[in-house]
Amino acid sequence: MAEGAKPSPSGDGLRLRIKGPRDFYGGLVLIGLAGIAVWASSDLPGLQGFSFGPGTAPRMFAGCLAAVGALIALTGLFVEGPKVEAFAIRGPAYVLVAILFFAGTIRGVSFDVFGLTIVLPTLGLVASTFIAFMISIFGSSEFRWRESLLAAVAMTLFCVLLFVYLLQLPFQLWPQF
Amino acid sequence: MSDLLANLWLGFSVAANPFNIGFCLVGALVGTLVGVLPGIGTVATVAMLLPITFGLPPVGALIMLAGIYYGAQYGGSTTSILVNIPGEATSVVTCLDGHQMARQGRAGPALSIAAIGSFFAGCVATVLVAALGAPLTTIALLFGPAEYFSLMLLGLIFAVVLAKGSVVKSIAMVLAGLLLSMVGSDLETGAGRMTFDYPELADGIGFTNVAMGVFGFAEIIRNLEMSQESRDIVQSKITGLMPTRQDLIDSSGAIARGTVIGSLLGILPGGGAVVSSFAAYTFEKRISKHPERFGRGAIQGVAAPEAANNAASQTSFIPLLTLGIPPNAVMALMVGAMTIHGIVPGPQVMVKQPDLFWGMIASMWIGNLMLVIINLPLVGVWVSLLRVPYRLLFPSIIVFCCIGIYSINNAPTDVVIAAVFGLFGYWLVKHDFEPAPLVLAFVLGPLMEENLRRAMLIARGDASVFLTRPISAGLILIALGMLALAMLPMIKKRRDEVFVESEN
Repeated sequence: MAEGAKPSPSGDGLRLRIKGPRDFYGGLVLIGLAGIAVWASSDLPGLQGFSFGPGTAPRMFAGCLAAVGALIALTGLFVEGPKVEAFAIRGPAYVLVAILFFAGTIRGVSFDVFGLTIVLPTLGLVASTFIAFMISIFGSSEFRWRESLLAAVAMTLFCVLLFVYLLQLPFQLWPQF
Repeated sequence: MSDLLANLWLGFSVAANPFNIGFCLVGALVGTLVGVLPGIGTVATVAMLLPITFGLPPVGALIMLAGIYYGAQYGGSTTSILVNIPGEATSVVTCLDGHQMARQGRAGPALSIAAIGSFFAGCVATVLVAALGAPLTTIALLFGPAEYFSLMLLGLIFAVVLAKGSVVKSIAMVLAGLLLSMVGSDLETGAGRMTFDYPELADGIGFTNVAMGVFGFAEIIRNLEMSQESRDIVQSKITGLMPTRQDLIDSSGAIARGTVIGSLLGILPGGGAVVSSFAAYTFEKRISKHPERFGRGAIQGVAAPEAANNAASQTSFIPLLTLGIPPNAVMALMVGAMTIHGIVPGPQVMVKQPDLFWGMIASMWIGNLMLVIINLPLVGVWVSLLRVPYRLLFPSIIVFCCIGIYSINNAPTDVVIAAVFGLFGYWLVKHDFEPAPLVLAFVLGPLMEENLRRAMLIARGDASVFLTRPISAGLILIALGMLALAMLPMIKKRRDEVFVESEN
């Protein structure tokens, strides 16, 4: 039932204990987002007479966001709140890799990372869908080979029938090198 | 009165042509089939199916599009209820209670009530459009930029009030959504804003990318870390596809009120359909004797927004056909389809092509009827989607979302952007931020900024214009009142939650 902003008696006297980390860090990130927005729109002209320039509204809303973010962070600092839940790594990682794999291979891309040029081939709808399905299914903890392969084949077939034959969308079907 | 009957008669005689009924039926079926795919919302469905209507005669094409629209909407509600993935902003609200009902094994009644509510709202709205179409446009004509801005502000406050967590955090989400919507070219000057010199961002961030990322991908990632039992609840015993008598009694009032709210808000141009489902839900929650049931599977929480949504999407034809303003993304696509057939939306359609105008109004009613006739028996098919184990369902959803996002613009970058928003959505959930206000603000952002800038320019930089114009002042007062109402019990509710947690 501790109220007010007193540092916890057990902690060392100078350091303020963060009472609600979930709010505190959430607010900090929002302030950071607002900062990025202000920085990214800093080159845009602002008010000209009565007329809003392109930069006015972004800076205005970024200012509001920073203020609200600060309010949330301060709440987190002084009001008792829940801890930040642990972030899972495995599930998000596999899902993310699957999505990026699909994006990279459906049409093929080349991009530079630290001076290295990476070229991804065009695998087409069939292969990209199948492999993306298989990558993401590893994100689940209950993985079984047989049913996964069957589901991946069925899903690929369904997607091809629906998107290519039924909806007539322009897709590259097969790998192209 | 005789005018009304004559017009409706003309409409039904056009729509009842066997070919047109056939187009409507095919449209509703295909629309449902695509709309039911997780992560593909109404807008994406209509956009994808638009090309298949190009070969038809104009009246047939528009009737089929109307069928696709209703099918997609119903399919989207189905996905929201069964898998908790809203394809678009209007079905966000349906997720809240619809998915909770599905978790409790009441997916069947939830889906049936959604169809029945939509049908009832469609019937009323059809008559309303026919009767009040012309006179009601005078109200919409009273709206200047200041009123538009205040109206959208009210819509966003609705979203804040509706959100589950703290009001301050929801306001932060609204602001973040507005900021995100400003990425891309400036409306007036064309200057690239916050694009970091990426040409892919010059057109702004696509709505579907944000929605599928924050709702689709984030939801999957979060579901993956839950234990197996908590996921299985969604798939366990589904008994009784039809709603019980009690369900019908409980939801009848909600359907009627949702219809009224939706019809009124749909007439107002500028996101009326989006706001109406939020408004109807919030209203039901406020007047309910058991507001604590909302968000935990209250049938009124499904019936009211579904009815409102449908009524609003019907009455939103009024601003489109009288002012030529598409009030939402689907209507914007309709404008595109009309233009391809050589029809310019505007006041002259009602006068010059009465068979088209009234035929379309009548076919909307027929489309709604089709949905009830086709989809109530098919509810079992949609429910059987639940029987697919989640470990096989989630890769399917991911692949679907990927293909769906990619197919809209044939842009791999869109898929990457959606992935980024997926991670962002996961982070938001971990810090108790509600994504729904963010997405709504993202949709309304461009219109809101445009009207803010216009209003300020007309008022010569005087911000008091929002309070001196009576309609605008009224809307802002309502918004502030809602906010105040939400703030007060929030403090109490939060303490209660802490209390409950400490007991366990």
